[in-house]
Amino acid sequence: MLAQIGRLLILGSLLASAAGAMIAFAAGRTRSADGLKWARRFAYGYAAFIMSATLLMVYALLVHDFSVSYVAQVGSRSVPTWVTIVSLWSSLEGSILFWGFVLGTYVAIATFFTRGRYEEYQPDAIGVWLATAAFFSFLIAGPANPFLTVAVPPLDGPGPNPLLQNHWLMAAHPPFLYLGYVGFTIPFGFACAALIKGRLGHNILKPLRESLMLPWAFQSISIMLGGWWAYEVLGWGGYWAWDPVENASLLPWLTATAALHSIMVVERRGILKGWTVTLVQATFLLVILGTFMTRSGVFNSVHSFTQSAIGPTILGFLGAALVFTIALLALRIDKLEDEGRIEGAASREAMFLVNNLLFVLLTFTVLIGTVFPLIVEALKGKQMSVGRPYFDSMVMPLGALLLFILGVGPALPWGRATREQIKKALLPPLIGAVVLAGLGYAVGVRSGWTLLTLAFGGFAAWVTLGEMFVPMFHRLRRGEGFGSAFVDGQLRRGRRRFASYIVHAAVVICIIAIAVSTSQRQTAELHFTKGQTQHAAGFDVTFLGIEERAEPHRVATVGRFAIAREGKQVAILEPKMNQYEMMREPIGSPSVHSTAAGDYYISISNIDTRNETASITVFASPLVVWIWISVIFMGVGALFGLFPARQRARATESESVVGAAETA
Amino acid sequence: MNRTVLIVGGLITAALIGVLFTGLGTNPNEIRSPLIGKPAPTFALREVGTGNTIDVNQFKGTPTVINFWATWCGPCWEEHPILVANARRLQPNVQFLGVVFQDEESKILGFLQQRGSGYPTVVDDAGKTAIAYGVGGVPETFFLDRNGVIVAKHNGPLSADDLQANLQKVMN
Repeated sequence: MLAQIGRLLILGSLLASAAGAMIAFAAGRTRSADGLKWARRFAYGYAAFIMSATLLMVYALLVHDFSVSYVAQVGSRSVPTWVTIVSLWSSLEGSILFWGFVLGTYVAIATFFTRGRYEEYQPDAIGVWLATAAFFSFLIAGPANPFLTVAVPPLDGPGPNPLLQNHWLMAAHPPFLYLGYVGFTIPFGFACAALIKGRLGHNILKPLRESLMLPWAFQSISIMLGGWWAYEVLGWGGYWAWDPVENASLLPWLTATAALHSIMVVERRGILKGWTVTLVQATFLLVILGTFMTRSGVFNSVHSFTQSAIGPTILGFLGAALVFTIALLALRIDKLEDEGRIEGAASREAMFLVNNLLFVLLTFTVLIGTVFPLIVEALKGKQMSVGRPYFDSMVMPLGALLLFILGVGPALPWGRATREQIKKALLPPLIGAVVLAGLGYAVGVRSGWTLLTLAFGGFAAWVTLGEMFVPMFHRLRRGEGFGSAFVDGQLRRGRRRFASYIVHAAVVICIIAIAVSTSQRQTAELHFTKGQTQHAAGFDVTFLGIEERAEPHRVATVGRFAIAREGKQVAILEPKMNQYEMMREPIGSPSVHSTAAGDYYISISNIDTRNETASITVFASPLVVWIWISVIFMGVGALFGLFPARQRARATESESVVGAAETA
Repeated sequence: MNRTVLIVGGLITAALIGVLFTGLGTNPNEIRSPLIGKPAPTFALREVGTGNTIDVNQFKGTPTVINFWATWCGPCWEEHPILVANARRLQPNVQFLGVVFQDEESKILGFLQQRGSGYPTVVDDAGKTAIAYGVGGVPETFFLDRNGVIVAKHNGPLSADDLQANLQKVMN
């Protein structure tokens, strides 16, 4: 019964999106106000259908209706409720349904917030969103249908993939990923609409920027959550392995970051219009490429879903989207005329351009590293993989350069700068560079790259903190109260600018934490008998013994270790091996003691309950926790920049001029 | 009409879609090495720790397992204990040999001291041996029979079962 209703709802979403897309494009051509109104209604209709279908699936999972094929595939009566809900996106069909749900939400919200404005662009934008939606509804209705009827329903199901049940982070990572990934459809729609109309007017920049910023924030957090999950669950002490699917999530993030910066150049100087539109479109295309990578079984990865027939379908869509985009760009890019040019090499806009080129270079580096094995295989019939050394040696210098530009760019003025201005802008932050690199050297950092990163980070931190707080001090000195200087001046009127520097500060912390935690990591392999104490990486580790803990869906063999420093016990760590009912091999689960200074991480490689012995790997990495914290701040900073937008719109004319001048 | 965009974009589209299309339907774990059934390329490399030269020809007459690995490769850590345990159990009836590439000798030594070693390890400094064997990524393992002919190849980390199955092929 539920299966039939589900299929009907999916069919409804397919019809609403396909018809809505056609109506919207027609309305864009004829500039019909009625047509636009109907396009909007169909957009809401699509959202209603797909969201109800998803909620129905959640209901089916919760009541264990095993006559629904997806529930029979991933459901289980013996797992906790949160795992049941998470099962929605744990397998191929459900994850695409969830994709539709997120797209429906985005389309409804974007349609609602742009109603009555941007009428030149809105019809085509809605058309692009709904055309994308129609494709995904087609996938759900056909090759990846989760609502098939199981003729003889089983009494119980296997439950989702155990790796996904192993940690709460798994509940959080995919929703954020979808909020990021799917959200890039919205700016893609605006960019296509601008090209179709042959005009990237000033008024469309705001929705373009904001609709890009929101998924960017989610995407940042999702990449971090994925890394954190790998760190907490996989037990090899790292958080990033240049796995094809990790790369797939990074690629659109890189182009989106570039686009967020180039939009600012369009706003300020009226240049880089075609470039910006291309970056926004590339972001969406990379999202579809990433979806193909995870869903087709072409790449071998932790993330791969089982092989299925939907690979060719997604590839077809990617091909169509590429052809559409290229044709649109070729036909219209020359109409987006630039209104000026870059005046000096040492100017803010020149630095923006360098930033953009670096991001694009990074994108190509990662893309080639990811796809290269396939190219080799296609040409020579041989398999290979590009190892970590390729990515590390290519990405590290580019990352360091970006950090450098992050410091230098905001220090330089827009337009032509005099020699004096440049000196005044670039010399004082060198103090920050020397101090931070010196500090690093004093605590024992000897790696050249890390010291360079610290120096660039110190420079950037000086500039960023200066941009954040110096204007406030000027106001304070002029006798203004703290409330007006900080809250009004920085948080309200300079909101966008202040938010962007929160993000920059977070990036500085993040890159430093990555560099230091990687280069200063200590590891040791230890073998214990019960009661034994050994010293490793600054701590005394005592093996207290083994406990077996039975839970409904798994049995955990827990090794208990006391961690002490200078005779004082700091923590008890309990790494374990989880044995799931449906799996032959146990899955290890490390245990981490985190502090602001560093992490102490224990992972079991072997545990013997009969003789009470255990072999463990210990990783001591400084500053790791700052990676997670800083990325959360990147997301929060970006959201803060978006949030009180409505108040600004009501500000008086003179104030908004001041606001614009402060917006950099 | 902007021809540059059209041409560059068209080329990127065609290349990307073409490559991805050929990738469809292949199993990334399945191995198709042209070397299978052929005599293994010979090499003589420096042993880690001792500095002695080890020539692969000296193992003729014994089935040989050649494992390409590196200390920076996570999956290699995973399979290392399995290889060591089997080497200790089967030598001298089967010869195990580790070939490390793109790595530093001090790191290799540290790794082997911490995790144990049960068979010789040589360093492929210039990566020539890895190229001769068509190694694209580590770990990759080759199984040679008594006559030095490559009978099987495994990509990725070996589980105990994988190793057993492949050893059957060379020991018969």
